[in-house]
Amino acid sequence: MKHIIEEESKYAASAKAFRANVARDLGNEELRSNFRGAMDYLMDKRKSAFSSEDELEVLREQCKLIKQRCLAKLPHLLEQLEGNLERNGIKVHWAETITEANEIIAQLIADKKGSSVVKGKSMVSEETALNDYLEERNVECLESDMGEYIVQLAKEHPSHIIMPAIHQNKKQVAKLFADNIEGFEYSTDVDTLIQQGREVLRNKFCQADVGISGVNFAVAETGTLCLVENEGNGRMCTTIPDLHIAITGIEKVVEHLSDVPPLLSLLTRSATGQAISTYFNMISSARKPGEKDGPQEVHLVLLDNGRSQAFADEELKQTLQCIRCGACMNHCPVYTRIGGHAYGTVYPGPIGKMVSPHMLGLEATTNLPTASTLCGACGEVCPVKIPIPKILLRLRQESVKPKSQQPEVMKGQGAGRSSVEALIWKVWAQVHKSPTMYALSMWGLTRFRFLMPKKLGGWTSVRTAPKPAATTLHQRVKAKQEKAKQSQQERG
Amino acid sequence: MTNTKADIKAVSKTARGNILAKLKAEVSGADYDKLPEEVPFNYPEFSREENLAQFISELEKNHAQVIKTTKANMASVISEQLKALNITKLLYGENDEHSEVIAALDSKIDLQTYDFSIDNNKERLFNECPAALSSSRCSIAATGSIVLWPDENEPRSLSLVPPVHFVIVDANELYADFTSLIKAQQWQDKLPTNVVLVSGPSKTADIQQTLAYGAHGPKALIVLLINI
Ligand code: SF4
Repeated sequence: MKHIIEEESKYAASAKAFRANVARDLGNEELRSNFRGAMDYLMDKRKSAFSSEDELEVLREQCKLIKQRCLAKLPHLLEQLEGNLERNGIKVHWAETITEANEIIAQLIADKKGSSVVKGKSMVSEETALNDYLEERNVECLESDMGEYIVQLAKEHPSHIIMPAIHQNKKQVAKLFADNIEGFEYSTDVDTLIQQGREVLRNKFCQADVGISGVNFAVAETGTLCLVENEGNGRMCTTIPDLHIAITGIEKVVEHLSDVPPLLSLLTRSATGQAISTYFNMISSARKPGEKDGPQEVHLVLLDNGRSQAFADEELKQTLQCIRCGACMNHCPVYTRIGGHAYGTVYPGPIGKMVSPHMLGLEATTNLPTASTLCGACGEVCPVKIPIPKILLRLRQESVKPKSQQPEVMKGQGAGRSSVEALIWKVWAQVHKSPTMYALSMWGLTRFRFLMPKKLGGWTSVRTAPKPAATTLHQRVKAKQEKAKQSQQERG
Repeated sequence: MTNTKADIKAVSKTARGNILAKLKAEVSGADYDKLPEEVPFNYPEFSREENLAQFISELEKNHAQVIKTTKANMASVISEQLKALNITKLLYGENDEHSEVIAALDSKIDLQTYDFSIDNNKERLFNECPAALSSSRCSIAATGSIVLWPDENEPRSLSLVPPVHFVIVDANELYADFTSLIKAQQWQDKLPTNVVLVSGPSKTADIQQTLAYGAHGPKALIVLLINI
């Protein structure tokens, strides 16, 4: 427990500042147009990847059940995975907190006297803020995914889990390269920019002594780490350096190798509309005697960081079905408008709102589950059928329920509870339970409607204040019915 | 600040115990025989021709170059392609299977055998090997994917580091989809150190959703399709 209390993630503070972040980013027109363009593109791509609704629905149901089965067996599969990986010569480490994960990785690097790290895309390492941790210990850690590289040069964080630099346009990237890469002549030609990045990064791949990667699926049955990518940087990080460290959340394990193809198919199609990614990389062992390349040592770090908390609740457990495709954010009207950074968390958008409260506690994330119109788009596109809107509602409840109520489902339960609001609802409930009280309150509301204040805090900053009507709906319906009766009598 | 080695072992051991205990408490008594049936989508059966057409079209959509050829003609195809690309070197694995092809290549091509360990040869691999030739194990029609099965003779980096990758694909080893391939070859029993599905040259759309090829891996993937 000590780490959880002592060393809060740096994202707790930025998540707390959600409202201020939103105000800042909504006003940034360039940012908004970057996101609008990108989301339209990704939604289009996904749509064209599923020609048959039938296929999509069957696959979603199948993949949901696959993930639910794997979660139902999670502890056993983790043990099986560990056994098979170790048999293949891949060392497995466990971490409850982000600090533990970082400590383990730093130590593995130190044991090998590593000084230069290349990283493939790994959102879990963003979660642990590994780059900062290693830099403080004088280990250079270079992001090698093009998007992540751009984001790192700009000293930012990814704004999207699949396309990290989606908030920047090519002009911004060109300027960034011109400012940071020696000898680069300003150009907004995307090919030129990518070739420049390629040149810098290939040099690094050649020199780095450590490669760090994420994992998309860890197969228990075979002890295999699967990576999905288009660029080849993931293959570089896991093939060229002498030491490969993979880090992943405990929910990424699947039971059988045969579980992988349907999940992979839905993942790439939901994410970017591709039938498959350019590379699907399956690693089952470190370099064996006689082999000429590949890392001498491979390690896997399994991270909990709040996942077991979600696991303990039947409804919230579904959060762990997520395969991190990003479709929910691509289709989210809120994400599209405020962008990925406003959330202040590693994972933005609907998935971020569901998963961050487990990682950071509800104290830091009370606002997140409320930042949804509950339009349902995320739940409709989610390839593993997570009922995202329902889970957001549930999190809203958890954040306002009395702190003392048992059992405590989540860290930070009741953090969003205000005694005034609680009292208002208590009174509201009482009034609605008793017909007399209800009639009395309606009588009062319609008579004294002129007393309604013009300013209602945040609500009226962009809206006019609501005003009760002069007559209640009941009265109006009654009047109408009477009128109808009368005219019927007259006609009759 | 960094902990000692013993420490991370202890940290990991405690974490393992705690995590597994928490998870196990939740699943104790679960009846795994009562899980709902997972129904896969029933894909239609395709003929060999249809599968081949699908394979080629997917690869081409992803900017791979597919050349239909024969084992006898392959050497001249490779020689021509290299000439057109202005490349005079070719890295290949010590694989008896295509030793005849290697022997028949244009004599002007500087042949490099991957007979070295990568450890002291990274600079050479990255800077002096503009093209590589590798074999493949089989391929997948639905997604236009080529299955690379690296081994001692054809190391993993052979198909990754050189900017141009020639790959020999046997049309007789084409499977309809990934699921049927895994099943037919019973992959779960014998996965090697590394398997890679390759479906085109390296690419990225990370800058303003604009596709660019040759991000980190090969800029060109040239598929030599034989036994059509
Ligand atoms: S919640 Fe669903 S849609 Fe969102 S990233 Fe996860 S799998 Fe994709």
